[in-house]
Amino acid sequence: MTPSSSFPGFLREPGGPRILFIGGKGGVGKTTTASALALELARSGRRCLLVSTDPAHSLGDVFGIRLGPRPKRLREGLLAMELDPDEEVGRYLDQVRENMQGLVRPAMYHEIERQLELSRQAPGAVEAATMDRISRLMAQATGPTSRGREWDVLVFDTAPTGHTLRLLALPEIMAAWTEGLLRRRDRSDAWGRALERLSGGRAGERAGEGDELSYIDEVGSELPSDDDRSHRIREVLLERRRSFTRARRLLLDPAMTAFIWVLIPEKLPILESEKAVHTLAEHRVPVVGMVVNRVLPAGELGAFLEARRAQEEAYLARIGESFAQIPRVHVPLLARDVEGVETLERIGRILMGDETTAPPPT
Amino acid sequence: MTPDPDDLRGRLRRAGELLREFYEGRHRGALARSRRDEDDLFMLLVLSETMGIPNPASYYTLELLPLLYDRFHEWHLRMGMEHSPLEGFRCC
Repeated sequence: MTPSSSFPGFLREPGGPRILFIGGKGGVGKTTTASALALELARSGRRCLLVSTDPAHSLGDVFGIRLGPRPKRLREGLLAMELDPDEEVGRYLDQVRENMQGLVRPAMYHEIERQLELSRQAPGAVEAATMDRISRLMAQATGPTSRGREWDVLVFDTAPTGHTLRLLALPEIMAAWTEGLLRRRDRSDAWGRALERLSGGRAGERAGEGDELSYIDEVGSELPSDDDRSHRIREVLLERRRSFTRARRLLLDPAMTAFIWVLIPEKLPILESEKAVHTLAEHRVPVVGMVVNRVLPAGELGAFLEARRAQEEAYLARIGESFAQIPRVHVPLLARDVEGVETLERIGRILMGDETTAPPPT
Repeated sequence: MTPDPDDLRGRLRRAGELLREFYEGRHRGALARSRRDEDDLFMLLVLSETMGIPNPASYYTLELLPLLYDRFHEWHLRMGMEHSPLEGFRCC
């Protein structure tokens, strides 16, 4: 793949990456870029599901319609949705509640219920729920279309930088954590097996002497035994590890996932982007290209804007230096706000290099 | 008077069993304790957030709570605490 010439054109190819993340500092035009790109991909025959993960959604506003946590058809080949982390948390808690039946004495239900409600407000819950949903969508993107999937490409309009970086790091942190817990289970199980080997089989009963087993007998035999419990804990952890590892594998697979970074030629966005791209590289997340947004258009602009242009040129030079390895496209500052599908389509064409960025006719 | 050989064999077998019980019993106790310590540690890791130790995965460990409630109850009794020592986490 030769840089510059292939980005972002290769995204339109049928074999192109199926998961796109659009990231950048707040206010640089992530949502616009994601929408324009999705429209362009849909036009060229790659059906898109455009997903906003930013808790402060603006995706619906760009299209001038109301979006929710379920995909809505915007046009042929383009679906869009805005994740609702609160709903995700609720669904997860319901599931935990359901699994609780048969594991806990009914007298404890109330206490666990209280605990679950507290967790709803816990720091990190929204984040974790968002990541959960994202990784399930990613898994879907790699599955067969036959399962009712009406799209080929996932386009994520992500939240501002910090949030996104954290989101990308989560699977790694979580995988390490579950790994640690599983190791502890392994050790516990090893002690258990050693016990069983001692005077064959009898040890199992003795292990719980005076604690768990006698206690379980009291509460009734329908509750799981110690070994059963241990087995279930292991199952839960293994399932978690599976989904974290899968998310991480997909995230780091350049054939599957592409990260596109948006910035504007101004000081703070450049500084933030330098840090972010560095962090992404540390996490081995492939950044396939950058969109330099709101570049002053060519042509006579008047003294005020010419002064800005002089400054901008310095910033563009810095962008060229800092991100020399990453292909870039420029999108000019437009005369008017981006609103509605037509402007988005125009930006899509500019992104793809199908339309020259000549100054708008006066 | 010569002792009854069957009786002697029976006594020896009994003595053997007692000795075995004596030695193995000690190991069994040690193994059971090790396993219990390991399980306690696991439980405390899962509940670490409740004890004020930040746990990056506390959201995901919620699904383990129902499996650990009984064990927690048994743990605080064994530690000589009549009720749960954790403010936000009561089981009895």
